[in-house]
Amino acid sequence: MKILRAYHGRTMLPATICLLMSVPGAGPVWAQTTDTSLKKSQSAVRRLPDGYPDLQGLWMKSTGGFQGLFVGSLDGTNFAAQGRGRGAGPAGRGGGTTYEYTPAAEAERKDRVRRGHEDPEAGCHLPGVPRALDQPGGLYPVQIIQDERYVALLHEAMHDVRIIPTDNSKHPRNYWAWDGDSRGRWEGDTLVVDVSNFNGRTWLDMAGNFVDENEHVVERFTLTDPDTILYEATISDPTVFVKPVQMRFTLKRVPAEQQILEYSCLEGERSLQHYTEEDGGTKQRAR
Amino acid sequence: MSSASTRLAVRAALAGVMMATFIPGTGAQTPARQTAFSPARLWDGQTPDFRGIWQVLDTAYVNIEGHPAGKGIAASKSIIVEPSDGKIPYKPEALKQRQENYRTRATADPSLKCYQAGVPRATYLAIPLQILQSPGNFAIVYQENHAFRVFHQDTRPHFDSTDWWMGDTRYRWEGDALVADVVAITDQAWLDQAGNFHSTEAHIVERYRLIGRDALEYEARIEDPVVYSMPWTLRTVLYRVKQPGARIIEDECLEDANGVRHHISPSDPRNLLKSDYSRWTKPAQK
Repeated sequence: MKILRAYHGRTMLPATICLLMSVPGAGPVWAQTTDTSLKKSQSAVRRLPDGYPDLQGLWMKSTGGFQGLFVGSLDGTNFAAQGRGRGAGPAGRGGGTTYEYTPAAEAERKDRVRRGHEDPEAGCHLPGVPRALDQPGGLYPVQIIQDERYVALLHEAMHDVRIIPTDNSKHPRNYWAWDGDSRGRWEGDTLVVDVSNFNGRTWLDMAGNFVDENEHVVERFTLTDPDTILYEATISDPTVFVKPVQMRFTLKRVPAEQQILEYSCLEGERSLQHYTEEDGGTKQRAR
Repeated sequence: MSSASTRLAVRAALAGVMMATFIPGTGAQTPARQTAFSPARLWDGQTPDFRGIWQVLDTAYVNIEGHPAGKGIAASKSIIVEPSDGKIPYKPEALKQRQENYRTRATADPSLKCYQAGVPRATYLAIPLQILQSPGNFAIVYQENHAFRVFHQDTRPHFDSTDWWMGDTRYRWEGDALVADVVAITDQAWLDQAGNFHSTEAHIVERYRLIGRDALEYEARIEDPVVYSMPWTLRTVLYRVKQPGARIIEDECLEDANGVRHHISPSDPRNLLKSDYSRWTKPAQK
């Protein structure tokens, strides 16, 4: 069953971020950080013996809301089909994400809005990259464990796991996966992860945005202060996008009294009860 | 730790505590073996280093009470070390339930639906697991159905207000052994393919201990007054996976034509039935 986090309401967000989130059109949060203040705040971060920033801890995507929350919602209304489409600036990503599809892919995206119930995540499948981190803000945390060889991301959502070697090794041949294959390296104090070898099944969100097997992601994790990770992803896919999609949001450290919980999605999935029969679910449409 | 001599003194003291705790609990031969191997340490110079990919080699996952050989499956002895007859001390009603589970195991085993395996079953599946560790952090990632457990230090109480598939785990170090206390486990999980089971009252104490550089002993003492007449203990050994470049491979089940989840080979055409990327170039027939 999907279990909402027991204490997520206690997650503390700096007041400034909350304020920005609530103002439509407000600039992205990271724009406030100047280079000099970044250097200053980064000097306060802990480091492992190898000298690299210690990303360990429990983290939660800090920006609020996400565009797909009410897609196929309680009364059967499909909000995504009513003009939220085109993936336009979902609030959950700091307002900056835009998608430019090839004409064929745009037609497919529109069709997927209609086929929202086919979103594999609704069936508890692995979300892929970057969706594993791009979950509803303040809902599902990620636990990071790190040593000199790996940075491991243990996601509460879908109990998705990525164990990322930080040796800049090469992607394997003949391996395809929902989460692709991740290979990391450090560029200064930023962890850069190259993700390839996707199986092409994942959607980027519940609003029909998608990628195929040609997806390639470059992620950047930067600890901008001891309690904040700036996450940036560049998603390219030549058969889907005209130009790479840029995504940025922040992860905030979750207070130490909280813990990651189990997400037993498949073991008693209830999502299909919320979809109407015509969308492939079991719910009767309200008259 | 300020000096090597202090460290040695602390180790000696810890070893003493450890011996004292081992003797009453787990039989006479254990303390002697305990001193046999001193594991490598993490970079804090203290914490035993259990990192790596591990896997059991036997087939106890078929039936932890032991079983004869089957097609492509080697026979296995019981891995139950207490009681000494190698049998789970079921109460009479519970034994009937186990027999029913065994009879229907071809369809009733929750692992057939790609559910997380539960504790301790995930450990001896003969499927790799990876221990992730740093000072103060300990987690196990199981390849089977990408389950994982984050071990929390036992300085905080259990979070046991609901039932989890992989339980709620609190741990402490007893010398060089990691001792984990696990509660809040769903009664939907089985212990093996033979239908052995526990209730939601199960309380499991796990003990992880390196007995060599590449051998990790695993012990689980299971107490469950609803189902068993007395606590019982299983013990097995996991071996380090040493192939160059070995990694945990993503394991995601796929739906069959009826929407039921199965382990389906990536090369099986059935895995193209649902949510397949190729659909976007040839739109789905509705």
